[in-house]
Amino acid sequence: MNTNLKETIESGAVNDKLLVETAAAAGEIMLVSGAEVYRVEDTVGRILSLAPDRRSENVALGTSLIVTLDRPGDESLTIMRRIRDRSTNLNRVCLVNEVSRRLCAGEMSLQEAQKSLQEIKQDIQYHSWTRAVGYIGVSAFFALLLGGTWREGLGAGLAGVLLAMVCLLTSKARLNDFCINALGAFAVGAGAMAIETWLMPAMDRNAVITGAIMPLVPGVTFTTSIRDILNGDYASGTNRMMEALVVALSVAVGIGTAMFLFSNLTGG
Amino acid sequence: MGIQIIIQTVSAFLAVVCFGLLLEMPKRYLLDAGVVGGAAWLVYLLTDQWTGSNIMAAFASTLVVACISHMFARLFKAPVTVFLVAGILPVVPGASIYRCVFYVIRSGSSLATFYFIETLQIAGAIAIAIFIMDSIFRLIQDNEKRWKKSRPDGNSGTPG
Repeated sequence: MNTNLKETIESGAVNDKLLVETAAAAGEIMLVSGAEVYRVEDTVGRILSLAPDRRSENVALGTSLIVTLDRPGDESLTIMRRIRDRSTNLNRVCLVNEVSRRLCAGEMSLQEAQKSLQEIKQDIQYHSWTRAVGYIGVSAFFALLLGGTWREGLGAGLAGVLLAMVCLLTSKARLNDFCINALGAFAVGAGAMAIETWLMPAMDRNAVITGAIMPLVPGVTFTTSIRDILNGDYASGTNRMMEALVVALSVAVGIGTAMFLFSNLTGG
Repeated sequence: MGIQIIIQTVSAFLAVVCFGLLLEMPKRYLLDAGVVGGAAWLVYLLTDQWTGSNIMAAFASTLVVACISHMFARLFKAPVTVFLVAGILPVVPGASIYRCVFYVIRSGSSLATFYFIETLQIAGAIAIAIFIMDSIFRLIQDNEKRWKKSRPDGNSGTPG
């Protein structure tokens, strides 16, 4: 099968266009799902190398992907993709990895690969309620993990309920990420202060806020940016670092606004 | 203190499993990823107590996480990233970045600088630990390939 595939590509029966499109689709899904840049370039490069006698290049930046195939004696084929919404989706990274592995091992034709990539784009594992449990669980258990007592865990869990409601409601509305994060952080901040003031005065407000914003803060993004930079991918590394700082800014704006309003409204 | 460590390690396990739901972790790896996260926090706490440095703790814990992630990735035939991202979640400097930016907008410049440097140190320690483990496993992989290639030749060579 592998040799068949390569022969059909060499004889031109499978057109180069399909190959480049498949490679670009795989790379796009991976970038949208938050995969590391070197992993994206590696996978796209492997798919492109199915056309052995041609020179191919691909450049993945955090926000764009360029795939090109030089054809001797013919025009070169280039596809460029702009990557807009990004959110970590490990399942899609896994599935694309599997498709590219099978494609390169010759267990799958290009048409089949493109079809499964289309399906992967639509694939969602966990629905709203499960995600809500995720938000609440992360908030509560991070508060405990960071040294909180049962009080902080409970408070952060309650703040997590508010966060889950905001995140699930705003995901329907077409707001940008900055606003969604700021609103979520605002809900956490206001919730934590309300709980401290009226329900549990013995609770440590800052520990609750730190635990409950954990689903929002860009710790992994920042660490990935340092990894990209150490790897020599300076452009995507700085891209991601800016992304992390902007996300952190949105969270800080949300919490800051909540603190300002709350102290003015209850104090005055 | 012992009880505290157990509670925090179990919390880390549950926190990472819940985070898996938000990161669309493949269902079959949810619990495995939780185990990596629990191990990460246990090593972090022990190293932190022993050395008193959270940077050392982040470094040691990520070394362990990266090692387990590579082994799980080979065992379950999944990309390393899946377990690696889950494992570093508890250690990653999310709260420090937030505090850094928070003090920037509250004009607390010395605290902002402090947290910015802390963020860079922890993220740097994690990145270097991952880098080291990746290199070690690449060496092992290359040696295995060479061994597999040279073995048939060696067998045919020895009888003669």
